[in-house]
Amino acid sequence: MGMSTHAPTSDFAKEIARAPGGEAIYKCVQCGICTASCVVASVSEKYRPRELIQRILIGMREEVLTSVLPWLCVTCRMCTERCQEDVSPADIFHAVRYVAAREGHIPSVFSHAVDLVLQDGWMLESGYSDFIEDERDDLGLHTDLGWNNQFVRRIKEKYFEGGLTQ
Amino acid sequence: MREYLLYLGCTTPVRLPSYEAATKAVLSKLGIRLLDFKDVTCCGAQYIESISPRAHIGLGGRILALAESQGKDVLAICGACSGSLKHSKHILDKDKGMRREVNSMLREEGLKYTGNVQVKHLLQVLRDDIGYEHIRKAVTRRYSGVRLAAHYGCHVTRPYDIVKVDDPENPRVIDEIIECIGATAVDYPDKTRCCGGPLLAMDEELAALIGADKIKNVRGVGAEGIVTACVFCDIHLSQIQIGDDEVPESRVPIITLPQLMGLAYGIDKESLGINLNRISPEGILGTLQEGVGQ
Repeated sequence: MGMSTHAPTSDFAKEIARAPGGEAIYKCVQCGICTASCVVASVSEKYRPRELIQRILIGMREEVLTSVLPWLCVTCRMCTERCQEDVSPADIFHAVRYVAAREGHIPSVFSHAVDLVLQDGWMLESGYSDFIEDERDDLGLHTDLGWNNQFVRRIKEKYFEGGLTQ
Repeated sequence: MREYLLYLGCTTPVRLPSYEAATKAVLSKLGIRLLDFKDVTCCGAQYIESISPRAHIGLGGRILALAESQGKDVLAICGACSGSLKHSKHILDKDKGMRREVNSMLREEGLKYTGNVQVKHLLQVLRDDIGYEHIRKAVTRRYSGVRLAAHYGCHVTRPYDIVKVDDPENPRVIDEIIECIGATAVDYPDKTRCCGGPLLAMDEELAALIGADKIKNVRGVGAEGIVTACVFCDIHLSQIQIGDDEVPESRVPIITLPQLMGLAYGIDKESLGINLNRISPEGILGTLQEGVGQ
């Protein structure tokens, strides 16, 4: 009587294991302490970190890469602290985000914020109104925030040309 | 006198300048000099970090190299920024290839990352550089009988191996300081849980539910205020209590740790930006005992 072993439907887990943060995915024993510790899971039935990692392990590449779920992790790292196998679901979901981003699957709030940083050097250029300048002045704070908007051009050129590639 | 470059981050100077002003006022009182840190960029936390890990380390690397060029360590008061800069330092200190890559981008500005710079969060400076004893002795007006709940901010305390601030499951620094200045620190269920703030842009409804849980837990133990040490936590926990269906009287005041401390040191309310707090902390202020030091 032969024993059959599970075969993933794709090499997705291998791909994630090669991406920064994804290295530990094969150490996951599916115990579920991540889901039990997760603040997002506590308010959303659709968000289950253990289940999401399982989907990666069994090879559900397209489903995971096009899903909003890996982008809902708040990276609070409660699961990271509690996992005794040193798996960090937060870092694994970052690895998923990198792979998804390379293929153009980026939630608009993320791409918008990235665009702002790469353009202005920081995120709140447009939010810095005269009103807030006055508020700072009243508090005795300097009003020229002095952000550097040049270095982000180098960053953009090196890492974001021709799409979000690295 | 110990000096730090104050890395403000994107959000504090625009959305919560009172936190910046109170930090400066209190640390100056306690013998720490903060220097303006200009010509920096965003640290890349959360957004750049989620799309390109190398771009994230590049942004962090330049900030750290700029601090090195001025021979000063960095103080970050935002949870996300402190976590992000510590992460970038962690990678640059162990990954020589990444360090070479960043330094090649920094060369034209004459900057170089060598690792000779530390990143501290406000809680570390208060506990390690100043110490509880000094924090207690500097008090000129003690709080009395007010019960306060500490909220730490996830990126301030986790992951411990990188940020090295306090016990990630049972942090105590804010609680200790609350007690040092005469108030009573209270525990509450799920104290180390996230405020929901990082989820605000992605899913406002879930972010609000997470924040509401925290407020409910704090209210459940009868705390009269929440003390924060991160701009996002402070803003989010305030914001979610200000809606049409919320009764103003039932709101729990949110106050930053340096604002709370500054009042006990006799610093005036205007300098600490107390009037800018979205939920009035007058109930907390009312327990200050004039002329009572340590």
